[in-house]
Amino acid sequence: MGELAAGLGDAFRLLLSGDAEVYAIAGRTLLISAAATALSLAIGCPAGLALARGRFRGRTLLLSLVHTGMGMPPVVVGLVLWLLITRSGPLGGLGLAYTPTAMIAAQFLIATPLVIGFTAASVQSLPPLLPDLLATLGAGRLRSLWLLLREARLGMLAAVMAGFGAVVSEVGAAMTVGGNLRGSTRVLTTAIVTATGRGDLSQAAALGIILLALAFAVTFLLTRLQQRRTD
Amino acid sequence: MDVRVAHLALDRGARRVLDIDALDFPAGSVTAVFGPNGSGKTSLLRCIAGLERPRGSVTIAGEPVRRGDPRVAFAFQESVFLHDTVRANLALGLALRDIPRLERDGRIADMAEECGLAAVLDRPARSLSAGEAQRANLARTLALAAPITLLDEPLSGFDRIGRARMLEEIPALLATHATTAIIVTHDREEAFRLADRLVLLVGGRVAAVGPAGPLYRRPPDAVTARLLGHTVIELDDRTIGFPPGALRRGPGEPGFRVVVVREVDMGNHRHLIGRFGTGPGAVAVELRLDPDEPGAAPGEDLLVHPAHWTEFGRG
Repeated sequence: MGELAAGLGDAFRLLLSGDAEVYAIAGRTLLISAAATALSLAIGCPAGLALARGRFRGRTLLLSLVHTGMGMPPVVVGLVLWLLITRSGPLGGLGLAYTPTAMIAAQFLIATPLVIGFTAASVQSLPPLLPDLLATLGAGRLRSLWLLLREARLGMLAAVMAGFGAVVSEVGAAMTVGGNLRGSTRVLTTAIVTATGRGDLSQAAALGIILLALAFAVTFLLTRLQQRRTD
Repeated sequence: MDVRVAHLALDRGARRVLDIDALDFPAGSVTAVFGPNGSGKTSLLRCIAGLERPRGSVTIAGEPVRRGDPRVAFAFQESVFLHDTVRANLALGLALRDIPRLERDGRIADMAEECGLAAVLDRPARSLSAGEAQRANLARTLALAAPITLLDEPLSGFDRIGRARMLEEIPALLATHATTAIIVTHDREEAFRLADRLVLLVGGRVAAVGPAGPLYRRPPDAVTARLLGHTVIELDDRTIGFPPGALRRGPGEPGFRVVVVREVDMGNHRHLIGRFGTGPGAVAVELRLDPDEPGAAPGEDLLVHPAHWTEFGRG
């Protein structure tokens, strides 16, 4: 418990002293996770909508695969991606190993099934007649899509929160594909691992508290957006 | 704009729900689509709105209809709203059709007044009572003043007074915009008061089309007659149909005997419920009594005849 209390003190000290490295790590964490979440929304929302509304062969199979993906161990995702982008891998030529881009890609792979799954579930809970109603009111394809997602916004924001929450807190994939390089791919979770390994427990606790605060701040903003009453 | 339906066939699984060779809705006409449950009334509206992909064609003013066709406004039987105020729900279709804000506001205010929604315009649409929701649903559609207006059971959510008012308002509103309207109903009074033409659907096929009055007075076949509320009986080797109120006591051509079941006091008049025939083929008949006419005891055997009637061919 002593470390935790010391960590709390350290966290405040680190934040207040304007420790450049801590700010850089926190900023990088936010940037990488936000980018990964945004990308997974761009792909996951339309995909979830298609899975929810489509009537095609293999739909149930696809949905099951997505649901499985929602619980995929990040370290496995990281490993598979690593095997692809490592110098001798099929995508080795891209030089993605140990880059923030690789971390974004890994986190995108982790968040996307969550976004697809949550989107599909929330769209399926809408009144079945809604798409027809929007069409007869004169909404085109894209407009209908937007209005449907807006109607499903409780679930959609849950999708954003689940996606962001999963990637900001994962360590396995970030470590595997990013390599925890100081100044380029070190994020809060990997920095915590490093500090813990070094035995610098109050530093680790401080970083942990910053990570929690960051996750809470983002989730709080999203929850406020979600709970804003329009009806 | 006119609507033409040609060689329309719609299947749901193995079941053919619509099978219509040709059906026209002239520009500016108001047609009631009338028929029993499951006869394909709603499916027909959905085809005309471009929401289904049937075989055959549906054209509006010569152009094939497509999903989301701005020429069509559709009030579904089920009232579905977005998570927003009544006003925003009424405004959405107008905004999507690029109606300027000022005109939008005017139309919403007018329709809210007509449909008794003025007091709830700023309430969340999903908090409306079932009746209010039905009215908002109708208002949303009529406010569009589209060239083609489709209404699926539009008056099911109105109380007696509101319904009486809408039976006058809807034809007036439709006439103002010279809308071609198609109204699905299973209520005969609604069909006759709202529309100038009837389309009778039975099992996905058109059983009869025509102006309501003549169709009622001279139904082309027994199926149509029954749908319109006529009593149809087999008399020796003839099939006879007659409308409610046509039956008289006493001998006449074609005369027949009925057994009195009971007398019913309807307030403004009384009538006798009788039974014609026996066993599972027995038909209930109604005999209207004049105010001073004596009734009859249950079980009594009466000779009756219809004052006017139609004879149908066998089949």
